[in-house]
Amino acid sequence: MSGPRSGAARVGRLTTLIVAGLGGLVFASVLVYAVLTALKPASEVLAVPLRWLPTTFEWSNLTLPFTETPFARYFLNSTVVGISVTLLNVVTCTAAGFSFAKFRYRGRDAAFMIVLATLMIPVEIIYVPLYSLVYSLGWVNSFAGLIVPAGTSAFGIFLMRQAIGNVPDELLEAARLDGAGDLRTLVSIVVPVVRGPMAALALFIFMLNWDSHLWPLLIASDDEHRTLPVGLAAMQADNLGSAAVPMMLVAALLAALPTVLLFVTLQRRFVEGVTMSAGIR
Amino acid sequence: MAVLSIRSKAPESSPPRRKKPVRRRNVIGALLAVPAMVLFVVFAIYPMLRVFYLSLFDYSLTTPPEFIGFDNFTYLATDPQFGAALWQTVLYAAGTYVPALALALVLAHVLNSRAPGSGLLRLLYFLPVAISWVAVSVIWRVVLNPDGLLNQALGLHLNWLTSSGSAMWGLVVMGVWKETGFFLILFLAGLQSIPEELYEASRLDGAGTFARFRYITWPMLLPVTAVCSVMAVIRGFQAFSPQLVLTNGGFGTQVVNLFVYKTAFENARMGRASAVAVLMFLLLFGLTLLQLKVFARRDR
Amino acid sequence: MALRGIRSLRRIRTAGAGILATVLAAATLSACGGGSADGKVTLTFWTHTHPPMIKLNQTLIAEYERQHPNVRIEYQQIPNDEFDTKMLTATSNGTGPDVLNLDDTTLRGEYLPKRLLAPIDFDALGVPSTDALKARYLPGTLDGASADNELYGLPSEFNATAFAINTQHFADAGLDPDAPPKTWQDVSAAAKKLAAAGHTQAFSFLYLHAGWYTQQLQTLLNETGGTITDAGHQKATVSAPPAQAALKIWTDLATGTGRTADPNKASREATAPFSDLATGRQSMAMVYPWAMEQIRQSNPDTFAKLKLVPLPQVNPAKPVNRWYGYYWGVSRASEHAQQAWQFIAYLASQSQRWLSDVKFIQPVKGWDTSAAGKQVPGLDVWSTAYRQGKFDEVAPHFAEIKDAVMGMVNDSVFDHVAIPEAAGTAAERIDRSLGS
Repeated sequence: MSGPRSGAARVGRLTTLIVAGLGGLVFASVLVYAVLTALKPASEVLAVPLRWLPTTFEWSNLTLPFTETPFARYFLNSTVVGISVTLLNVVTCTAAGFSFAKFRYRGRDAAFMIVLATLMIPVEIIYVPLYSLVYSLGWVNSFAGLIVPAGTSAFGIFLMRQAIGNVPDELLEAARLDGAGDLRTLVSIVVPVVRGPMAALALFIFMLNWDSHLWPLLIASDDEHRTLPVGLAAMQADNLGSAAVPMMLVAALLAALPTVLLFVTLQRRFVEGVTMSAGIR
Repeated sequence: MAVLSIRSKAPESSPPRRKKPVRRRNVIGALLAVPAMVLFVVFAIYPMLRVFYLSLFDYSLTTPPEFIGFDNFTYLATDPQFGAALWQTVLYAAGTYVPALALALVLAHVLNSRAPGSGLLRLLYFLPVAISWVAVSVIWRVVLNPDGLLNQALGLHLNWLTSSGSAMWGLVVMGVWKETGFFLILFLAGLQSIPEELYEASRLDGAGTFARFRYITWPMLLPVTAVCSVMAVIRGFQAFSPQLVLTNGGFGTQVVNLFVYKTAFENARMGRASAVAVLMFLLLFGLTLLQLKVFARRDR
Repeated sequence: MALRGIRSLRRIRTAGAGILATVLAAATLSACGGGSADGKVTLTFWTHTHPPMIKLNQTLIAEYERQHPNVRIEYQQIPNDEFDTKMLTATSNGTGPDVLNLDDTTLRGEYLPKRLLAPIDFDALGVPSTDALKARYLPGTLDGASADNELYGLPSEFNATAFAINTQHFADAGLDPDAPPKTWQDVSAAAKKLAAAGHTQAFSFLYLHAGWYTQQLQTLLNETGGTITDAGHQKATVSAPPAQAALKIWTDLATGTGRTADPNKASREATAPFSDLATGRQSMAMVYPWAMEQIRQSNPDTFAKLKLVPLPQVNPAKPVNRWYGYYWGVSRASEHAQQAWQFIAYLASQSQRWLSDVKFIQPVKGWDTSAAGKQVPGLDVWSTAYRQGKFDEVAPHFAEIKDAVMGMVNDSVFDHVAIPEAAGTAAERIDRSLGS
């Protein structure tokens, strides 16, 4: 907000900003506490009274998850699954979005209604039969079971249909006159125009997948397939004592690192993704 | 998600309706939708129908399903465990999302500025959004330890995670920390979509801060608030990881989702678990419609 | 524009190739589970997490693979918290292991009623008959894995319950380690003196997961004559007076007048359940043979100060004990049942090493007079305890019953719900489980 403001308003505004700042510090303190505690010697982690700083920084704590647990493998699994799911989503959603936005054919509206209907269904509702299904496909304890069922998303299709709908028909028409086929048009004309929404979708899906816990918990029961959330939970279950606090905190913080970094560098895209997912824009 | 009806408020174009789709070779166009549709039908629509079907059976994975009519539902109707799970879900969802929404709304107003430092502040609130629920739970297990940060900061001696008096509230505090940023993002986006001219005009009319909020911001934010509340309900009912990791459903934290998980996979009662899923679906569907209706009426 | 288009075309192609590769890789990975393309049989073997046991299992697996080059064994440990769910789901849908290692209550409460395990293959074991096999083991000890007169497993460990006291702590408190507590009241009295000497965590039960809650309560139930359900598994009996008496002992020791420690300060680490006793924080604990060995390995200094004494009793004149065992069994879904039993036969043949390396007592006849048996610290205490024990009564859907028991103890200990009320709630839950 710009424009002339009274002194009182300015003071009020400053006060609220300070309060919000203090709130921000409270929010941040949890992470600061986690980082500092992760670097403490095990004997100091839950000391009373609270000491923020370790007496000595135990940098060797940083390797604990790797030497004591299959953390590295969980990390790799999460990365592989996350990237695969994201790529699959971007491709299937962009293709379907193009189809729904720019073509006319029998059953199109019915198909789109099906997509809209599934917007309402969280996986929590259907995972019992979904599990039976994936089991009968022989995909329990496999990457296919982790990746394929998550390969498309109603929100993604909705979003890409919206974005591609805004691409002027004239542009597509010109491409057709140039002799480009439909696929060619999608790839060379449409995709460059909707790169923004595609990136937002990719980021959104990746972060969603990184957080996915319940489904991998059912599908991945061995270390070869466990993703980070499942692996972290398993590590936690076996390391409840205070001696293991530094290792668990290091693991949790490292597990958070990729999405936090992505978020910090691509904050604008992420915000786009979230707001688009909510249909605000 | 699931907020299509309020989209009509936004001056957004709905392309296929407004413009005529280019007439292209229909087959290829239709084929483009096939991969997504196959995945949908197989991994969403079919299980959805199947969950309704299974809810009428006694089924344990190892034995063939046995039809038992509505027995699963009548069992659940009188099951105190299920009742408790429902109630604990409502408590958790309300306890987490009402404060998170309120806090986000207020913060959005304060942080919707170009004042130095507000970008950094926004980031501080956003960060927990980017951390997975399980990682957050692992971190908060230490924070909620009897000798952890929360007790020491507040001067308390609560056993947060091992008593029914506090376990739920420990998870709620954590939830508010994790979720406020998410709604802050949405509210900020909503605020930024309000035309600046409206404020200019009101200022010329001599409207005060409160009046501006009451007559411009609030009505303009209603659609966003509707979206947020729908999402809050859905997210609240999706709660699972913290309850599994931190309390394993003990001490009054057995949320519905965890109840389904245990019923299905610890006790191998797939039919009963499906019945719960059906009830959850109906409940969520009803709640969403209700919310949208309420907001639509206020919107007028 | 065109150039840009081509560039994104390339990008899409790379992306497309990436996806294709991923899908293919995923499909391949999923396709080759337990395959025998090279004529090798792969057996999967799952156990819970107990570090000393894991080590010996790994050693024995390596030996077995060397002796049987055509067999490969994939050994996996499941975190104890997830164990029940994971194992049951996997075994139910056929994605579980060939060889399982399960405790007797889970076996008889979930796996045998659901017909998830294959009966013993006598040929593979090289034993002519049930009787010949039973003749190798102490009477009744194979019953932990039997249903309808059929045997389903061989014991990997067989446990009775004893009590360990820290003699140093006793000395600090002016207590005589040679006159250990005989009753639970004695435990409370000793705890008061120990607390006065600075040992505030004198005695605590373990609050790990539903299985632990149930096994400790069952130990007390055996002493008070209580049960969780009636013998026919028709009705809950956990709210009957003798059962409530067991819960009362527990609650009294945890938070009541006879308070012996703060249960909220008790360690809850399921891989090292006895870490409080092992680190010298706790003065007394209910222990099992394997637990003593774990303490000896992790904390030899404390171990040197621990003394094994008989389990405190409600009625010391008529001492009772509790048995529980773990058994190796084979999944009914296994395609290599014969090889699986042969592998189990090898594991079971090493009972002397199980004794000497991990202090897992396998109830083969004469174990206590064998060379390794004589090395078991506190042998006399264990021998007596075994003579006084029995297996638990187990109803179907035992997981639900264990959850109810855990809820009851939590209600009473942590939430201070009155005992009749907590027991009543649990009884209702159990009745609902039994009736459906």
